[in-house]
Parts: sequence; C-alpha cells; structure tokens
Amino acid sequence: MWGTNLRIVLVVLGTLALYTLIANKIPQVQSEVPQTLTLGPNVTTEQLVAAGEKVYNGAGGCTTCHGLGTRAPNLLTDEKGQGPIGARCGRREPGKTCKQYLFESLDNPTAYVVAGYQPIMPVMTRQLPAEQIWAVIAFLESQGGTVDVTGTDIPASPTGPTPGASPGSPGALAGGSTDPMTLFRAAGCVGCHKIGAEGGNVGPDLSHVGARRSAESIRAKILDPASSTARGFERFAGIMPKTFGATLTAAQFEALVRFLAAHK
Amino acid sequence: MTSALLLLQAAADTTRAYGEFPVIGARAAVWVAAEVHLMFAAFVLGVPLFAVVAEAIGVVGKDQRYDRLAKEFTRLLLVAYSATAIWGAVLTFLLSTLYPRFWAYLTAVFGPSMWAYVGLFFFESFTLYLYYYGWERWHQGRSKVVHLGLGVLLNVWGTIVMLIANSWLTYMMTPPRDITPTTDPASIKLWHAIANATWMPINIHRLIANVVFGGAIVGAYASYRFLAAKTEEERAHYDWMGYVGNFIAISALIVLPFAGYWLGREIYQYDQSMGITMMGGFMSWLWVIQAFLIAVLFLAGNYYLWIGMGRIPGAERFRPYTKYLLMVLVLGAIVWGTPHTMIADARELAAMGGSHHPLLGALGVMSAKNSAVNLMILTTFLSFLMYRRANTRPVVPWARTGTWIQAGMFGVAALVVLYFGIKGYFVEAIVRIGYSVYQVGAVLACIVFVTTIDILMGRGAQSLGAIRWGKMPARSQYALFVLAVTFTWLMGLMGFARSGIRQHWHVWQLVQDTSKYAATPALGYAAKMISACVLIFLTLVAFVFWLGGLAEKSTFVPGKEKEGARVGH
Repeated sequence: MWGTNLRIVLVVLGTLALYTLIANKIPQVQSEVPQTLTLGPNVTTEQLVAAGEKVYNGAGGCTTCHGLGTRAPNLLTDEKGQGPIGARCGRREPGKTCKQYLFESLDNPTAYVVAGYQPIMPVMTRQLPAEQIWAVIAFLESQGGTVDVTGTDIPASPTGPTPGASPGSPGALAGGSTDPMTLFRAAGCVGCHKIGAEGGNVGPDLSHVGARRSAESIRAKILDPASSTARGFERFAGIMPKTFGATLTAAQFEALVRFLAAHK
Repeated sequence: MTSALLLLQAAADTTRAYGEFPVIGARAAVWVAAEVHLMFAAFVLGVPLFAVVAEAIGVVGKDQRYDRLAKEFTRLLLVAYSATAIWGAVLTFLLSTLYPRFWAYLTAVFGPSMWAYVGLFFFESFTLYLYYYGWERWHQGRSKVVHLGLGVLLNVWGTIVMLIANSWLTYMMTPPRDITPTTDPASIKLWHAIANATWMPINIHRLIANVVFGGAIVGAYASYRFLAAKTEEERAHYDWMGYVGNFIAISALIVLPFAGYWLGREIYQYDQSMGITMMGGFMSWLWVIQAFLIAVLFLAGNYYLWIGMGRIPGAERFRPYTKYLLMVLVLGAIVWGTPHTMIADARELAAMGGSHHPLLGALGVMSAKNSAVNLMILTTFLSFLMYRRANTRPVVPWARTGTWIQAGMFGVAALVVLYFGIKGYFVEAIVRIGYSVYQVGAVLACIVFVTTIDILMGRGAQSLGAIRWGKMPARSQYALFVLAVTFTWLMGLMGFARSGIRQHWHVWQLVQDTSKYAATPALGYAAKMISACVLIFLTLVAFVFWLGGLAEKSTFVPGKEKEGARVGH
C-alpha cells in the first residue's frame, strides 16, 4: 500500500511541477500600476525615449492592441508599406507635424481612426499623466523618425490623472484653475465635446447645452454620465469617465457647470 | 507641490488601508485563503448536486447501488463542510485585518447580504446533517421521498449561498455603471449591486464548474479506494464509482465552455478594455496554458474510457478506431494551444518578421481554435458513445439505419464546424464571432439527437456480456488522479484570470489598490501560488477522506442486479 501511496504522491507532484514549469517558461508579463514619472525640463531625448518605451510596453497598455495588426495599426513595424510610426506620422494629417499628430491621436483618438479599424482606443490623456504621454510620443517618434519632444513640452502641472491617489481625493486639475475653458480642455472634455469651434464629435455638441439642460441636470450628468445618453450617441454610451466628481475640486466643478449652463 | 501633497495623501490613505502579513505578504495570504476556501466550497456545492440525482436514480430504478453511492458521496461532504467554513473564516479575518479599508467598503455595500449568507450556511449545515444521518432512518416509502426532499433542499441552500458570494466578487469586477468613486457605499441599493453585469454568467459558470470539480474529486477518491481495495467486490464497486465520477466530470465539462463564452461576452460588453486585457493583453499567454490543461483533460478522460473498454465484452470491435480519435484530439490540442495575440517588443516582432509568426499565426486565430475545440468535443462524445454501446447489439429493426443516421449527424456536425471555421478567415471579426454560435449549435444538436437515437435503439438490445467491473489496470486510476489535479489547477488559473483582469483595482475603477501588491503578478508567480493552493487543498482532502474512512467502513454493497446489458450507469 505504501508503494501505491508513493506513486499517487508522485503523480500529483509531477503534474503540479509540470504545469508550474510550463507557466514559468513562457514570457513573464506583469501588469504594472501607472507610476508618476519625474521628467524635468532638462530631460534628455534618450531619457524620454527610454521612459516612453517602458510606458508603451507596460502601464500604457499600448501593446494590447498595437503591434498585433488586427485591432489597431502596427506602430513598431511596417504598416501597409508606410514604415513604422515614426516614419509615417508626419504624413498622416496634412499640416500637422508628427508630434502634433501623435499628441492629438492620444488626446482624441476617435478623430484619427485609421481606415479599416474600429474606434476602440480610450482617451490616453485621461489614463496617463502628461509626463508619460510625452514620453510615449518621444518613443513613437524614435521608431523610424526624429525625436523632437523636449522637456519644455511637458506642462509644469499635471493634466492627466494622478496615479496612486486614493478614490475621493480631490485632484488639482489644471493647477487648481477655475477658468472653465482651461478646465474644459484639461479634463479632456474637448476630446469628445465641441464648444464653439473647438472640440471633438464623439459626444454631443455643448455649444448650446444650456438651452437643453438646466445647471442641475448638467451637474447630475457630469457626476453620473450613465444617467442618460443623448439621442444619436448611443454607441458611445459608457465612454465618458465617471470620475470628474473626484478629479475636480468643488470650485472647479461648479465653475464648469455654470459655464456650460450659460451656453444657451 | 500639489503633486507632492497628493502623493502624501495617497500614502496616508495607504497606511490606514492595509495590514502586513509575515513572510509571504498580505496578498499571498489572502490568495491562499480565498483559493482553498473556494476549492472546498466548489466541492461541497458540486457533490450534493449529483448525490441527490444518484439517490433519485436509485429510488426510481430501485437500484440500491445508486443509493449507496449517493450516501458515500454525502459522507465525503461532512468533514469537507467544516473545512469550507474554517477557510471561509480565515479569509474573512485576513481580509478584515489586511485590507480593512476595502473590507469596510464591501461590508458597507453588502452588509445585509452577509448576514443572510451566514444564516443560510447555518440552514445548509443542518440540512446536510439531517440528510446524512437520516439516511437509514428514512430509507423507504414516503419517508424516502422526504429524505430526497432534504437533498433537494440542501442544494437550494447551497446554491443561494453561492449566488450571494458571487455577487460580492462580481461587483468587484463589474460594478454598475452609475456608481462612481464618490458614491457613498452605504447609499448603494443592495439588489442594484448584486445584479451587476457578470453576476448571472458567473452563477451559471460556477454551478456547472462545481459539478465538474465534484465529479473529478469523487473520481480521484474512488480511484484511491480502488487501488487500496482488498477484495474483488470492493474493487468492482470503486471501479464503478470512479467511472460515474469521471462521467459526471467530463459530461459537465463539455457544457462549461459555453457558459465561459457568455461570461467573456458580458465582460467585453461591460468594458472593452477589460476584455482586451483578458484575451489579448498581459494575460494572453494564460489562455495557451488553459488550452494545454484542457487538452490534458480531454486526453486523460478519453484514455480512461478507452482503457475501460478493455473490461467490456464486445468492445474489441471499436478498438481500431481509438488511434484515429487520439489523432484528432492531439491535433485539436496543438491548434488550440497555438499562441496568436501576444505581447511582443520591437526585437521580438522583428525576429518574427511581423506581428504574427508566419506559419502559426493562421492557426492561432479563433476560427481555428473554435473548430479544434468543437471537434475535440465531438471526438470525446464519440468515445463515450462507443463505450456505451460496447457490450450491446441493437435488435430494433431500424438499427442499421439508425446507426447510419448517427454517423451522418457526426459528419454533418463536423462539416458545419469546419465550414464556419474556414469561412471565418474571410469575414470581419464581428461576423466571425457569430459563427461560433453555429459551430456550438451543430455540436450540441449532434450530441442531443445522437443520444436520443441511441437510447431508442438500445431498447431490448442484446447483451454481449456483463461489464467486468474491477478488471481495470492500475494505470487507468492514475489518469483519474491527473484529471482531479488538472481540474483543480485549472480552477485556480481561471480564478487568477477573473480576479487579475481588475489589475490595480479592488473594485474596477471605483476603489484603487494602493498597496505595495497592487501590480498584478506574471503567470509564473501565479502558477507557483496556484500549485501551492492545489497542494494544500489536496493534502487536506486526503486527510478528510482518511477521516471519513476511519469513521465508517465502506458503504459498498454487492449489486443485486445481474449487470447484463447495463453499461455503467
């Protein structure tokens, strides 16, 4: 009987060891927590590119879609004979430099969806702090192009989320500014909503939102975006972040609400 | 300055939010407690499901073997229940001391359901005691029906307990969209939190998976008793019990992927980035490992059936076909395990010459994988059908026609699977996803109709001899152990996938994990944790079974029937 017991133990341990070994032999990828980079105005090109590569392959989650050729265009390799992203970015939009195009693609990705792909990319300026955004742009430029991102491109105050901040901690978006248009841009609203001539068309045009909604209704909609969906925009339902109540201070939030309510 | 203040605030929050556990750390401690608790819970929820079915078969068919089998299943539950409760308490204490802020949030949302959970566990335990200890007292007539009712009630309590616990973990993955980080948790309506997007898919998935898991563990128990048996009769009994456990596990396993698809679809619909992280992001290699494990399950399950045919008179006529079945299974496993959507850096992409490996890229897509797994399911079903028919010869006048119709159904199902598999290469992804429904539908229809024809065709069938229960080589029993270990490991792996896609969030996009363990570990670390949990669980289960053996002798009774034409069940 001891022989049988020993054989059973060996079968169990052998099976466990085999599975553990296989799982340890494949590429090991850890899902990193987004970290704040400390890139000052004197940062070198090499530092920016190195930091950008880390974000691209890690916290940015870019490799989830880019580089596979099915969900999104390849960025690090040739795409339809146009070379890697650094080589082709300057030709993508007439009148836009590579740097401008890449920034706008991260800030308002639905504006430049490459033909043949779905508009599934999230607004990265909402996901990553400004330092990481500019580092990624530098890294992408380095893929077959010339890096012209410098430390001066990185704003002095953060414009993106603050990783590590606990839920409920009010952020200091746009350096605490209560100027509504500054907030409208800094909070990323402009990526989807238009005010006047500025902004995207993923969400409803807010140029006359005050005529459609009361201040109370605007307030509720910002805090709880899922509470209603404007007609014609159903396919974008769920895209709007529900975090503005946490990322704006009360003064900023109220300034934005009053600003929008006044647009009749 | 502002950023520094924010970081200080986050640090202060973190200090109050997390405790530390010696040596292995807080995350590993909670991981082990949750996983081992879950394994015991799956066992004590799965086994009563088929215990009561076995008892009912015994009552309706007046076959004492099934009644004894059901009792032996239930005996395994008694100590396992205590172990489940102990590990549940360990998990609760660890969560409340190591993750107090998160735990406070969860209790604020789900407090009343936690009270209900405890109450139901109380009812469930005492129903189990009544069910087991009342077995001999209420063994015939109306009292037997009442006893059967207790078994049903036991399952009702157990299922509700599971549904409640599932609501907590699914809320962590997919909290309702209208809840924001600023929502006061105490203001969230309980039912609103419970009925979140993945609650029902997880409920169904776990219900089926529990049956699979319970069957596999019972199979392993039976195989151990088979190997330790001292008499031929005892060996025959545990051979039969092992067969039933394996039959239950493999049958339920065939349905499980469909519940998995539903769950995956709900995750995608809730948050596409979460779905992409799961299938194509840092977890993409996990599915290759999963494919390997399921291939082991299919191979071990079929191997057990093929060896089992050695004890069935008349099975020789099917033996030549097993090598072809093996070939289909191996090829299917290779295709299913082919990597496709992988994270690769620039150097690796350059080495491959593109985003996909030029040869394997074509086999790694879902069209090929879905076709492979559906053909593997069909093959396993064919193995079972051969096993089932091995010692009988149909005598109905339409037997030959019926067999041809069955063969035709297999052929049509395989062609439908291949047709949509190939067509999937030439259409857009959104169309291709819909094809899997046709493939699955064809396989399920084949299983249902072929089984129906087989049952009708088996009426009054001529027996080619009784199954020689107990006449199984020892190596077949080790296949049952491999099945049990693999099922358990797979459960740990899928638990890691489900929990890991939340990444650095305790509750997705509501409560962030700011502890030092916030990063989701790579598969290698996860594999070590899973293996440790499986080892702890199996060691404890072995102890539980040993205790069960100490308390009572085997419930085996010699079968009164002649075991003529009957095969297995």
